[in-house]
Amino acid sequence: MELTDADLVARVLVDDDQHAFGELVRRHQSSVRGLLRQLTRTDIALADDLAQQAFLRAYKNIRSFRGEARFSTWLYRIAYNCFREDARRRKELVGIDEEQLQTQHDPQAADPGLRHDLMRALNLLPLNERSAILLCCRSGLSHDEAARVLDIPLGTVKTNVLRGREKLKRMLADWGPNQVKQI
Amino acid sequence: MNQEDWLDRELREAAPYIDDEGFTARVLQQLPPLRRRHDLLRAVILLGMAFLASVLAYVVSGGGRFVSVTLERLAALPALWVFGLALASGLVIAAAGATAAISRSRASLT
Repeated sequence: MELTDADLVARVLVDDDQHAFGELVRRHQSSVRGLLRQLTRTDIALADDLAQQAFLRAYKNIRSFRGEARFSTWLYRIAYNCFREDARRRKELVGIDEEQLQTQHDPQAADPGLRHDLMRALNLLPLNERSAILLCCRSGLSHDEAARVLDIPLGTVKTNVLRGREKLKRMLADWGPNQVKQI
Repeated sequence: MNQEDWLDRELREAAPYIDDEGFTARVLQQLPPLRRRHDLLRAVILLGMAFLASVLAYVVSGGGRFVSVTLERLAALPALWVFGLALASGLVIAAAGATAAISRSRASLT
C-alpha cells in the first residue's frame, strides 16, 4: 500500500526519517521544478537551484506544516517564496508591459509549434498573472489554494487568472480549437 | 471545445514530467542531521532521570538494603537456576532487539 503524503510527513516528524522525506521529494520534484522553470522563464539551472533550496527549507520547517492544506500547496508556497526572494535580489520582479508584449509577439517566429508559442506567451505575461495562470491552469490548484501560495487575496487571484487568460488567448489567436488540432 | 477549455488543456499538457536525474539524491545529501542532536538530548535527559530515580530509590529504601537482601537470595539459588535465568533474560533482550531492527528496516524500505 502506498503511503500518503501525510503519512510520510508524519514519519519525518516522528522519526526524522530522511527516506520518507526523499519519497516526498521524488513525488513532487517534477511539479515544483516545472513551476519554477516557468516562473524563471525557463532558466533551468536557476529553477533547479531554487527547487533544491525550497525542498531544504521544507525539511527544516516541516514542523510548521499543519496539514490544513495539501502538502503540494504548502510546497508550492515555499518554492514561490524562494523564487520571490531570489527575484528581489535580482530585481526582476517587474513584469513585461503591454507594449513590450505586442512588440515581442511575432506569429511568424522561427518555431511554429503551438507549445513553443504557448511557453513564449506565458513568459511574456507579468509575474502576477503568470504565477496565477501557472498555479490554477497548469498545476491544477483551486483559486483559494493559489491565493494561499501567492499570499494575495482570492479576488486578486481570480482577476489575474482572467487577465492572463485573455492575454494568452490574444497572443495565441492564430491557434485555438477551431484552427489547429495537432501541435 | 471553447477557447478557454482548449487553453487550459494546452497549459496542462505543456507541463511534461521532469525526470529526477539525481535531483532527489542531491537534496538528501544536503539535509541537516537534526536527529542526532535530538537523540543526544534525549539520551542526556533519560540518563539524568535514571540517575535521579536511582538516588531517590536508594534513599527511600534505607540505603539500598533490598539490594543486598536480593543478592543474598540470588547467591543462595542453585547454579543451574542462575544460569537458566541469565539465558532467559538474554533471549528476551535479543528478541526485542531483533524485532526493533526488523521494523526499523521495513519502515525505511517503504
